[in-house]
Amino acid sequence: MVIALINGSPKGRGSASNCILQELKPLLAQDGNRVLEYHFRNPALSPTEMEEIRDCDVLIFAFPLYVDGIPSHLLSCLVQLERYLAAIPKKEIMVYSIVNCGFYEGEHNELAVEMLKNWCIKAGLTWGQGIGIGAGGMLPMLQNVPIGHGPKKNLGKGLAQLAHNVLERTSGESLFFTANLPRIVYKLAAEIGWRRSIKANGLKRQDLSLRK
Amino acid sequence: MRVFIHDLETKDFLALFPKPLDKTLTISDNGTIHHCLGCFGCWIKTPGECVIRDEYGNMGEHLSRCSQLLIMSQCCYGGFSPFVKNVLDRSISYIHPDFQIRNGRMHHQRRYSNEIDLKVWFYGENITEKEKQTAQRLVQANAINLDCHVYSVSFAHSIVELEEKVLWL
Repeated sequence: MVIALINGSPKGRGSASNCILQELKPLLAQDGNRVLEYHFRNPALSPTEMEEIRDCDVLIFAFPLYVDGIPSHLLSCLVQLERYLAAIPKKEIMVYSIVNCGFYEGEHNELAVEMLKNWCIKAGLTWGQGIGIGAGGMLPMLQNVPIGHGPKKNLGKGLAQLAHNVLERTSGESLFFTANLPRIVYKLAAEIGWRRSIKANGLKRQDLSLRK
Repeated sequence: MRVFIHDLETKDFLALFPKPLDKTLTISDNGTIHHCLGCFGCWIKTPGECVIRDEYGNMGEHLSRCSQLLIMSQCCYGGFSPFVKNVLDRSISYIHPDFQIRNGRMHHQRRYSNEIDLKVWFYGENITEKEKQTAQRLVQANAINLDCHVYSVSFAHSIVELEEKVLWL
């Protein structure tokens, strides 16, 4: 089985989407499966990328939630892929989606999962499963924490369930979860983080509230 | 002031709006928009404005001065078209990075205090019922995150049908 891991983050490196896919990859690289990695960072795909996607058995998209939906550059890629895939005869391709957001609750990602499901129908592909992860902004800072432990306990369970469905080529209900830590702790950590970042850029803490 | 974000081609825009719109800042696709890089620079490097200095870098400021946000977009999978979504992705300097809990869930705090009415027209020949449901919920979610009010959401099959819906604009 050929599985495409598609990172839909516009960030070059250090994205939560990449962290998630790197945790998922070892769960899929078995039984002779071929796992290919793509990074859709820009709003256009090359003909080669589309041909390679067409030949996959499974597509797994991981991307950040932007303004309640799919980031615009990835949306452009999906429109391009829909036109390409809908116009050609192809084998059955299963689609899975992992959306992460900076808010605490994983449920914020529900509409983005739904949009990818709607895309699947338009492109003539088969929907597998969607996962929505809250507190995603924390994941790049937790790379030394083993999956399935501490704040990454829920992530471990969610990815294991997704991997099972992918390997069985079956569909599953959407899953929404967050990091294993209290919301207030996440909120405080994020707000301390913004203050450190703005000071590191030579500005003052109160500049976070600047108005134009 | 009103901010009007749309993805119409020039000929369709002129057919719908032959006269200049009163007190309205119109955001159109001139083919030069850069996509959001997810750098959060609009919060921590140049707070209140996007670090990408193309014609769409001041969307947060524009939204802070408007009382009506009008969006006319092709419906893509129950969401906005890539251009309209790009403009919205580039608008997050309108809000503050800090969090607050609203309706039991985490959202961003306001940076500005203006009140916005949101009116959205989706158009497209093949919008499915499922996509309409997603789009309705999306606009509600956007309104919660921007802390504004949904005035109306409507759907049209074609530009001609849009014309009937915007006669009063």
